[in-house]
Amino acid sequence: MTTTSDAPAVRLAGLTKRYGQLTAVDSLDLTIRSGEVVALLGPNGAGKSTTIDMLLGLSRPDAGTVSLYGVTPAEAIRRGQVNALLQSGGLLPDLTVREIVALVAALHDRPRPVPEVLDRAGVAELAKRRVGELSGGQQQRVRFAMALVSGPDLVVLDEPTTGLDVEARREFWATMREETRLGRTVLFATHYLDEADAYADRIVLMRAGQVVADGTAAQIKSVVSGRTIRATLPGADLATLAALPGVDAAEGRGDSVLLHCTDSDATLRALLAGTAAYDIEVTARGLEDAFLALTVEGARS
Amino acid sequence: MNLTYLSAEIRRLVRNKRILIFSVAMPAILLLIFGGLNKGETLNGVGVAAYTMVSMGLFGSMSAAMGSGGSIAVERGLGWNRQLRLTPLSPGGYVLTKVFLSLLMAVPPLVVVYLIGAIGLDVRLPASTWALVGLGSWLGALPFAALGVVIGYVAKPDSVQQVSGLLYMLLAAFGGLWVPVEVMPHLMRSIAEFTPAYWVGQVARSPLFHGGLSMRAVAVMLAWAVGLGLVALRRFRADTARA
Repeated sequence: MTTTSDAPAVRLAGLTKRYGQLTAVDSLDLTIRSGEVVALLGPNGAGKSTTIDMLLGLSRPDAGTVSLYGVTPAEAIRRGQVNALLQSGGLLPDLTVREIVALVAALHDRPRPVPEVLDRAGVAELAKRRVGELSGGQQQRVRFAMALVSGPDLVVLDEPTTGLDVEARREFWATMREETRLGRTVLFATHYLDEADAYADRIVLMRAGQVVADGTAAQIKSVVSGRTIRATLPGADLATLAALPGVDAAEGRGDSVLLHCTDSDATLRALLAGTAAYDIEVTARGLEDAFLALTVEGARS
Repeated sequence: MNLTYLSAEIRRLVRNKRILIFSVAMPAILLLIFGGLNKGETLNGVGVAAYTMVSMGLFGSMSAAMGSGGSIAVERGLGWNRQLRLTPLSPGGYVLTKVFLSLLMAVPPLVVVYLIGAIGLDVRLPASTWALVGLGSWLGALPFAALGVVIGYVAKPDSVQQVSGLLYMLLAAFGGLWVPVEVMPHLMRSIAEFTPAYWVGQVARSPLFHGGLSMRAVAVMLAWAVGLGLVALRRFRADTARA
């Protein structure tokens, strides 16, 4: 770990990228401190990959600046402080796993030992296989090994578990956890809510090229406060239910009703006292509700 | 230039075999056919077998040299260039490695074709002529190495083989590698003089006629190498800037 100064791992200021009429990234500001594990969460087309490409210097912003550890992306890469797992491609099919990882290692000044990294990324037993013969999930682990072998302070992962099955996803994140325990800074893009919730200290929610929320999973969830009461009530009058204390909105689903509440305790008392509702469940709204509330076009919270 | 990178590239070449086999086998077979047919005949005082041998050596080294640069297109398609930009290897270092590989790959066709000439077709030349012919032919790979880089940055990954294949067939034919320039129709010869293959051929064959390299031909050949090199540099810069 060599951090040359107290500069943050990532500082994006006013970052903008346009493709013709479309503004893919719209004056985005983002600062990531050393040691943070940050999820860049958003639906497809939110601008996550475009942001990451500019962050890594693979694409030139139309406006704004990128600085990694206080220097340009190219300089940070040259110093071996940053490496990334790109969403697709980037492999030479005719090399073996060991050869391609060793090749990336040889291009860096202070690489980690190749066998250790192969082991860490779970590809040690594939070391002698040609990269082109591997499955998508195995190739993803090779990309991961290539990202780790330079021993970067900051690892950027663009949708690292897309195309992996459940088991492979779990293994991937278990390995990533080990790495972050070593103090590595991680920025990963994902459209899986559960991954952002489970593995990130901080979630940056993007929509239409802008940051719409930034905080811990709990902070993001609190954007959509309140709880939902679900009950069975045949022949319910939704207007009456919506008028109960603490109810924001009422929906009917067959014999069930869903009450979105600002004060579920008051609603519950009224519901039990004044109706024949049974099978009552009270649930807190989750990250998914927050995600939908914040990212669906036109929605405002 | 990074030596580990270079050795990985060499390993891939040996493993793929395609470029190597093609660049060696094709001229070797053509030499056996054309050289064998006219063995014993002479053209302007030079044995046809020797003349054909030099042309076929060039034909092979030219295709090998262009193939190396052309692989850039394939690697761009694979996203390997993006991957390399996450390493300290500079894009310039990457291209230099490709050019170096071009020069390296130009050697096997020359060696094999000259062996076939010397052993199979009884080509006998003074040692100095062998050396000059070999050197001239090898340096002749330079303009085609640069042309390969241009193709590598212009062609689509899935069409690069057809593009470079067609181009080097045309260059070989109009440059006089298949039909001796001396027996070409007038119009074709006029066209030939506008191809780099013609001048590379003149460089490589001049020792057969005069025992030394034609300096005029060397100058034109190097001008082609520099010119195509500049075009390659422009394409390369445009590609890395766009990203």
